[in-house]
Amino acid sequence: MVNLKNKIEQSNKKNISLPISRVRLIMKSSPDVSSINQDALFLTTKATELFVQHLAVSSFNNGSGKETNSLSYSDLANTAEETETFHFLTDILPKKILARDYLKSLEQMQEEEADY
Amino acid sequence: VNLQMDGDSSTTDASQLGITGEYGHYVLQSQDDESLNDHEDGGVKENYREQDIYLPIANVARIMKNAVPQTGKIAKDAKECVQECVSEFISFITSEASERCHQEKRKTINGEDILFAMSTLGFDMYVEPLKLYLQKFREAMKGEKGIPGVAVGESLGDELTDDSFTNPLPAGIITADGQSQNVMVYTTSYQQIPTVQQIQFS
Repeated sequence: MVNLKNKIEQSNKKNISLPISRVRLIMKSSPDVSSINQDALFLTTKATELFVQHLAVSSFNNGSGKETNSLSYSDLANTAEETETFHFLTDILPKKILARDYLKSLEQMQEEEADY
Repeated sequence: VNLQMDGDSSTTDASQLGITGEYGHYVLQSQDDESLNDHEDGGVKENYREQDIYLPIANVARIMKNAVPQTGKIAKDAKECVQECVSEFISFITSEASERCHQEKRKTINGEDILFAMSTLGFDMYVEPLKLYLQKFREAMKGEKGIPGVAVGESLGDELTDDSFTNPLPAGIITADGQSQNVMVYTTSYQQIPTVQQIQFS
C-alpha cells in the first residue's frame, strides 16, 4: 500500500501529462457547450489524470491484480459494476461471458425458479 | 433471448451485442478466445458519438503505469478501455457542469461548475486536491509579467490556445501533444503540500 501511495505522490509532482487541447475537444463535443474558461479546462485535465490513477488502482486492487500482478479488462469491468463511483462506466465496460457459461447459469436460474 | 454467436467483439456497445437482464450487461466472447480482446479501435463506429474522441493512449498508459506497482503489467485491452473511460468521464463531468451553467443563465463553463459537477457525480474526493492545484496554477500564471491577455477567470474568453499556456509559465509548462518538457507547473517557490498527496484510492 505504501508503494502505491508513493507512486501517486511521484506522479503528482510531475507536470500535467495530458494534452489540454484534446481535453478541450472532448468537452466541446458535448451538446450545448459553448465556451469553457481556463480554470475549467485546467481542472478537467487534472481531474482526468486523477481519474485514470483512481480507476487503475481500484481495479488493480479490486481484481485479480494482487495475485497476478497485472491489470486486465475484466478487472476494470468488475470495478465499474462494484464501485458506485464508476457505475457510469458500466455501459461501455460490459463484462464478457462465454455463451456456454451464460446458458449454464440461465439454466440454473430457471431450475431455481421452478422450485417455487 | 437472442444469442449472437459471431466472434466479432470489436464493439463494446452492449445494446448491440449484449444480453441484458438480471445478469447485467454482457457481451459474448468467442469460445476460442479467452485471452483476447484487441479492441482495434481505429475501429469504425457506425454512429458518431462524443466518446469517439480520445486522449492519446500513450499518455493514458503512462499514468496507469505510474499508478500501479512498478512491476505490474497492464493488458493492452485494459489500456484501450481506460482510454474510452476517460472520454466518458470528461463528457460526464462536462454535461453536468454545462447543465448547471445553463440553469444559471451563463454561457461559459467555469471552474466552479466543474468542481460542483465532480461533487455531484461522486468524485468529491478530487475536489480538495484540485482546488490546491488550481491555486498553484493561478499563482504561476500571475507570476509572469508582461504577457498580455493572460488572465484568470471569465475574462480570458473561450478560444484558449495552447500558446497561452506555454508562454507565461517560467517554471512550468502544461504540455501540448507529444511535447514533453519536464518542468513543473509551479512557481519556484512551490512547496509540497502534504495534504494533496493523501488520495487513497484503495
